[in-house]
Amino acid sequence: MIAAIIAAIAAGLIVVAVIVAVVIVRNRRGAKATPRKDFQQLDTVGVGSSPFESSSEALSAKNGEVRVTRGQTAVKKPSEALRGRFVALGVLAAAVFGSLSAKLWSLQVLSSSDYSRDAEKNLYSTVSTPAPRGLICDAQGTPLVKNRASQTVLADADVADDRDVVRRLSAVLGVPANVVRQRIQDSSGGAQSQRVVADDVRLRDVAFIAEHSDAFPGVAVETRTVREYPYGALAAHVLGYTGPPSEEELKAKVEGREIKATDTVGKSGVEAYYDSVISGDHGQRRVLADAAGNALEVVSETQAVKGSDVRLTIDARVQYVADKTLADLVAPDGVIGRGRGVAAAAVVMDVRDGAVLALSSYPTFDPANFTGGIPQEIWDLYTSEESHAPLNNRVISGQYPAASTYKAFTSLAGLEYGFASPTSGWVCEGKWDGFGSGDVQMCWNHSGHGGLDLRGGIVNSCDVVFYEIAKAFFDHGPAGTGQVSETALQDYLARFNLDKATGIDLANEAAGTIPTPAWKAERWRNLPSEIPWRGGDFTNMIIGQGYVLVTPLEIAVAYGGVATGRIMRPHLLKEVRNAADEVVVSYEPEVVCEVDANASHLAYVRDALRGVITENNKVATMFAEAGVQAAGKSGTGENSGAADHAWFVAYAPYDDPKYVVTVIIDQGGGGSEVAAPVAAKLLGAAMAADAGAELEAPQRVAGSTGKSVEYHGTSAGRTD
Amino acid sequence: MAELPQINSVRSAPVAPRASRPSRLGPGVEGPLIPFIVVAVLLVGYGLVVCWSATSTNADFSFSRQLTGVAGGLVAMAVLWRFDYRRLANMTMVFLVINVVLILSPHLPVIGVNAKGAQSWIKIGMQVQPGEFAKVTVVLYAASLVARYGGTLDDAREYCKVLGLLLIPFLCIMTQPDLGTGLVYLFISAVTLVMGGAKPRYLIVTLIAGILAIAAVFVIDEFLKYEKSPGVYEYRLLKNYQRSRLLVFLNPGGDTSGDGYNLAQAMIAIGSGGLFGKGLLNGTQATYGYLPEAPTDFIFCVLAEELGFVGVMALLALYVALIVVALRIARAADDLFGMLIVCAVVGMWLFQILENIGMTCGLMPITGIPLPFVSYGSSFMMVNFAMLGLIASVCTHHNALGRKGAYAATH
Repeated sequence: MIAAIIAAIAAGLIVVAVIVAVVIVRNRRGAKATPRKDFQQLDTVGVGSSPFESSSEALSAKNGEVRVTRGQTAVKKPSEALRGRFVALGVLAAAVFGSLSAKLWSLQVLSSSDYSRDAEKNLYSTVSTPAPRGLICDAQGTPLVKNRASQTVLADADVADDRDVVRRLSAVLGVPANVVRQRIQDSSGGAQSQRVVADDVRLRDVAFIAEHSDAFPGVAVETRTVREYPYGALAAHVLGYTGPPSEEELKAKVEGREIKATDTVGKSGVEAYYDSVISGDHGQRRVLADAAGNALEVVSETQAVKGSDVRLTIDARVQYVADKTLADLVAPDGVIGRGRGVAAAAVVMDVRDGAVLALSSYPTFDPANFTGGIPQEIWDLYTSEESHAPLNNRVISGQYPAASTYKAFTSLAGLEYGFASPTSGWVCEGKWDGFGSGDVQMCWNHSGHGGLDLRGGIVNSCDVVFYEIAKAFFDHGPAGTGQVSETALQDYLARFNLDKATGIDLANEAAGTIPTPAWKAERWRNLPSEIPWRGGDFTNMIIGQGYVLVTPLEIAVAYGGVATGRIMRPHLLKEVRNAADEVVVSYEPEVVCEVDANASHLAYVRDALRGVITENNKVATMFAEAGVQAAGKSGTGENSGAADHAWFVAYAPYDDPKYVVTVIIDQGGGGSEVAAPVAAKLLGAAMAADAGAELEAPQRVAGSTGKSVEYHGTSAGRTD
Repeated sequence: MAELPQINSVRSAPVAPRASRPSRLGPGVEGPLIPFIVVAVLLVGYGLVVCWSATSTNADFSFSRQLTGVAGGLVAMAVLWRFDYRRLANMTMVFLVINVVLILSPHLPVIGVNAKGAQSWIKIGMQVQPGEFAKVTVVLYAASLVARYGGTLDDAREYCKVLGLLLIPFLCIMTQPDLGTGLVYLFISAVTLVMGGAKPRYLIVTLIAGILAIAAVFVIDEFLKYEKSPGVYEYRLLKNYQRSRLLVFLNPGGDTSGDGYNLAQAMIAIGSGGLFGKGLLNGTQATYGYLPEAPTDFIFCVLAEELGFVGVMALLALYVALIVVALRIARAADDLFGMLIVCAVVGMWLFQILENIGMTCGLMPITGIPLPFVSYGSSFMMVNFAMLGLIASVCTHHNALGRKGAYAATH
């Protein structure tokens, strides 16, 4: 606007300049000096006529002469005196039309092709049609995740303000009006996108909406492919869930995967890890669209290609046993706190190739609730403290004190450094103060185990035996004789990768902690008095307490290492199959490392682990009932201020290991009492499946209700 | 006003009726009328074709309403044509009153309509924009005022008085506010002053004063602005949208989704038309709604897209022909009042053409000024026909013929 004024003024300036020029030129010519009339004169003068003009006319009129000829003299016209100004107006007009023409020439002729391209770009847009995702099956080909068509009713965001439409939708869909409005206002799918009012709408309701479309402005019906979970929450933490892409996912560039706002992407589990395999290729639809974005005509189309199917190493039958057993144990009636513990995790792995047969974490969730975005009420429930984090996969990200399961590795370390040997002997009196500091440490069996060798120490899980070994490490370290390095024990434990993520094909895997003096210094950098590495740190660590943390999967993999001498990389993918059901990718087992341990030491410890199963009557009965010849180790993790964590890890057959099972019951109590039965059951199921026996077919598993009551664990002390 | 020179006693040809001319289309007198009519008919016809194309794909506009405007305009034109414009020469005061009443009428309580933040419309059966119709009376007002000085306005006090009086319609319309129409008034006044023989030195001083006034508006605005919300400033003298339009004009590529969207789409429409265009009714920019306000302010884009550079040049040629013929009529006019009427009308057309076409191709900032004879809108159509009628009246009423000249029989 201002520029318009400026432009007008500029134009005026040109005009004035021209006028001045013309006037000057005319004055120079010195020609007729126009007689200047003043206003007094004007009063007597006709409009625009000089006195001469009117008088001459009058005169001629008087004379009766019709002197109106073509040659009405120039002097008579008012324009004659203002000729210069006409020139100026002409120049102005010429300037206006000249500049407009020049600009239009440049737009329409010189750069026409650029603008034509822009007009095309306006007009045609490419719309991606989502590809159906591939199926996810278990090792036998049982589909765990399928697709199905769902009639989805969608609404524009502003429909929420239209009471009539909301009321009609409520009546047709049978959903309360306030819920309809709430769903339309939910912008979790993106601000621009249409909001899902209801999925799985009955066809007759869809038809009704389509027939009365003018009563439903801004409402659309779409057939969407949605994920279906025939077994509910079975293996939920393995499968993961899907949802609309987040801002970050839209921005992230992944090779071979183009994510559109309307897509469904894997958010966790296998769905996320193998998203690019499962997702397939978008179809492309080139459409003619108007400014409002309505597609008017489809110009060309390429069909979407369904994603590849993924076959997992999971055995749905074993998985079902795991999911069901943990659920029944922790929350017998769906309420956490009425069973044993508040959460649980179990994993069954093939020690020969790292294939995971079952991976179960409780509480769990039903991924079907999460399709198309997590509803706010479920999100609120599952993130509340009461629900005990159902989304958390405790097998890979739960970090617990390893407790006595550590003793298999620490005893190997003691053997390696000669601080223990098959011929060593110790006496356990139930308490120990080897450093003479007055700070007495207890064995779990307060009445003492009496005289023991190392095997007896492992079988009875005698802490005093291991305190002695720890003391030996301390005494021979820099603080004592200096024969071994200050991290000799930790370095040995690291051979079992207990401080590294296992590399399973799932995201968000946590790594365990093997505390070292350096780690401790970092941990306590704000409290220097706690920094020095003390003998007590060794005695705590050697029984898997103190600062030691592991994930259940790390323990499973490391026990696989003890059982076979090889650390395998655990994996869930068995193979990828294309649309023609041909195997296009097969998982190749990966040996992470050979365990660097003396073969005779390994044999000694394996024998002791076998003894753990056979020499405890209760445990022996459990495994006998399960029909497996197992070796293993219990653990009872002390948990300050709460009940102990119950551990049990076992592999079978003990003389030709095939499967390893790790079970932890969070605040479950004693390991051999609470966790061992689960481990026996799972190992039995895995061995039965291996033998080709008929197992119970998997059934639908329920997701967590999110409910819990206050849990009172057994505080009877350790019983491992 | 009382001090203005009174001229009613010296009506230019108060003499007895003369003998009628044998032919109303005789040489010399009505010579420009034939080409004038031809050009006007061609222009109106061309405009209607473009308007039809622009409205046919947009349900919000009805072409028949435009035709109604043309019909109404034809009546207005015929009346003005036959009316002797010289009767209006001394009605300066009347025009001033009409102008003020017309322009301020939207402020009246019952009929005034507030649309898009401007009090520019009144509702009398149908919604009309009185500021649009006032263009006719502003032309007559300015012409009659300046004509009193007989082509020499070289007294400083008188000049200032005229200047002040000419600014009244502008100040009135700024209360709505409607800067676009106000600029048209200003341009009409400026052309009248220049053509009416104001002293060049005064014109230059006026120009400089105008520039300083605009600069002052900006400077004062900087002091008056207040922080509406953190980081968002609200100016008092110029509206924020006016500022943003200016910024877009100065930097058209900067923002193609917000304020720059209209300009970007307009230029795409024009540019994609190419040399020969996409064919009538085949424009995609308007048809599919990319071009905002296609039938009204941006109708030139529809023409440019559908008929290309050739079609655009045809329109410009018709405009040039109209202006050339009108200026011939102006030069042939026997009295200053008639000459100034024609010049003021030419000035108005020039400015509207420059601003409307200029804004669509990025030469001028975007304002809502319609394109004469083409843009959809019955008010402005009627105004243009009235302007044609005035020019025709000037063309046919000559001193030599007297008031009861060629058309005496019809009065």
